[in-house]
Amino acid sequence: MYESKTTEITPMERMIAALNGEKTDRVPVHVYPRWAPLEYLGLTFKEAWDDPDLWVKAQILGQERYQYDCVIDYDMMGPVEEFIGTKLKYPENKVPMIEEPAIKTKEDIKKCNWKLDPRKDGNMPKVLYVIRRLKEELIKRGRGKQHVPIMTWGSCPSRTCACLTGFDRWFELIIEDPDWAQELMELAFPTWFEMVKAEIEAGADIVWVNDPVSAADCISREHYEKLTQPMERKFIEAIRRETGVNITMHPCGNWHDRMDLVAQNQADCYFLGPMDIRLCVDKITEQNKAGNARCKAINGNIGAATPSTTDGRTALPYASTMNQSTADEIEGECKEVIKAIEEEGDLRCVLGPNCWAPAKVPPVNYDAVVYAARKYGRYDGKPEA
Amino acid sequence: MGVLDEIKESIIAMKKTESPGLTQKALDEGLDAEEILDKALVPAMDTVGKQYEEGTKFIPEMLIAAKAMMGALNILKPKLTASGGKSQGKVVLGTVEGDVHDIGLKLVGMMLEGAGLDVVVLGADTSKEEFLEAIKEHNANILGMSALLTTTMPEMKEVIDFLKENGLREKVKVMVGGATLNQRFADEYGADGFAPDAAQASVLAKRLLAEQSK
Repeated sequence: MYESKTTEITPMERMIAALNGEKTDRVPVHVYPRWAPLEYLGLTFKEAWDDPDLWVKAQILGQERYQYDCVIDYDMMGPVEEFIGTKLKYPENKVPMIEEPAIKTKEDIKKCNWKLDPRKDGNMPKVLYVIRRLKEELIKRGRGKQHVPIMTWGSCPSRTCACLTGFDRWFELIIEDPDWAQELMELAFPTWFEMVKAEIEAGADIVWVNDPVSAADCISREHYEKLTQPMERKFIEAIRRETGVNITMHPCGNWHDRMDLVAQNQADCYFLGPMDIRLCVDKITEQNKAGNARCKAINGNIGAATPSTTDGRTALPYASTMNQSTADEIEGECKEVIKAIEEEGDLRCVLGPNCWAPAKVPPVNYDAVVYAARKYGRYDGKPEA
Repeated sequence: MGVLDEIKESIIAMKKTESPGLTQKALDEGLDAEEILDKALVPAMDTVGKQYEEGTKFIPEMLIAAKAMMGALNILKPKLTASGGKSQGKVVLGTVEGDVHDIGLKLVGMMLEGAGLDVVVLGADTSKEEFLEAIKEHNANILGMSALLTTTMPEMKEVIDFLKENGLREKVKVMVGGATLNQRFADEYGADGFAPDAAQASVLAKRLLAEQSK
């Protein structure tokens, strides 16, 4: 067999280095590829949910086609909450949705399955199977070495609770019965924590956690600081302590007024929502310098169909989208994002959208993101040949 | 403080157990239901909406204040119906098919009711056929659609096209909203208006009704 002398940086090396604040050849690209691989193979989400090998195939071939730097498992809230007691429905080409929340009254807590074993209960083993199969397939394709990392997902306690009570009930509880809200988060905490540990055990290399219910679009800074943020931090610190993997947190939505608190959650990386990139870089850097945070990288934050929440410090049209903009516009946004994150010197950029890339993104727009990383994101300043 | 101010304050302060009693007290004192609606409930929800826009109230506070308002409105409804009270317009609301997010939708519904409009909330995961039937059945002036997911937003265009196919598009104004939406999407889908939140949905609905009556 021909022995290549080329020493290329692999996506695995590029991603892990960035999450540890180190430079390789260029910034990595991570687009949270849920829809692009499915569409590439002409699959619906349900088809890939019903046959996990199709999900694996789509992830592998999608990465080979688009050349981004990370693959994912199903990355969705369903399996844990479903086993606890929330009834889900499975649309043909959407992610599962809550049909009936598990908890309406305090009495309902007793009916829930709080003790779970991700290796055998409900649909959780399906997620673990996907991770194991991704690992096998990536190692096979890398001729014995895994070249592309697998990112898995965990739900912060506040989000898990909202999925168990229904989102409107959760918001009411925050005001009307914060002690019960706290009790629920304590109950929810170990469920996803067990799942994340099993995901890492199955072969995931990186974990991302998210919270879409504590943004400034949803609750006050005071409620975040007193109620949900302490549990978020506890969740992230527990994952780090038990698994040692790199952790990315996605503050979903607009968190401008509380980025200082978010930074203190001790994630390695923040996958930014539709927020002003320069404001976030400044606030995270400030917390790093004060010794309150250990953030090494920022993942984001090209518009992925989101409302504009810039405060005017960055000239980015955050309402523009991965599926509405032209490739040239996407390239321009990427250039600005890379510059804003990397110019301070202490933070690495993981280029990507500001939430899961939506469905029906023109393939050329994904190409534009990878192209921009190669053109503007090289650390030696020379565009890739 | 007069009873109208007390009702208003109870809503703004999210005292949902107090607002119905105060409303009953106002009726017992001989105040007209329409006057209570116009001078207490509507201004209270205007204030709550402004506080949300200013960032001093958030979704939990909005939800509970809206419930306090609904508690008061439920006391008034029999009187408003009996007196043939003025309806400023009828709105059919729903989250599009495949999308189960309805907090925003509920808030919009309550804000519009608080603004004196008749509201029919179809709820989450509403098909285009259900929207069409509801518009016909209720002779609606406005259709309001919500979507939170990038994957479900395009359903709005499907519904609007379906209204055109069935000859209803010119008879009903269409407003859209939801966290992932913006004016650009609204224009692309052919909607008459976009509102980024519940408070502005109320303002938009009134504007669309005014345009319709010209």
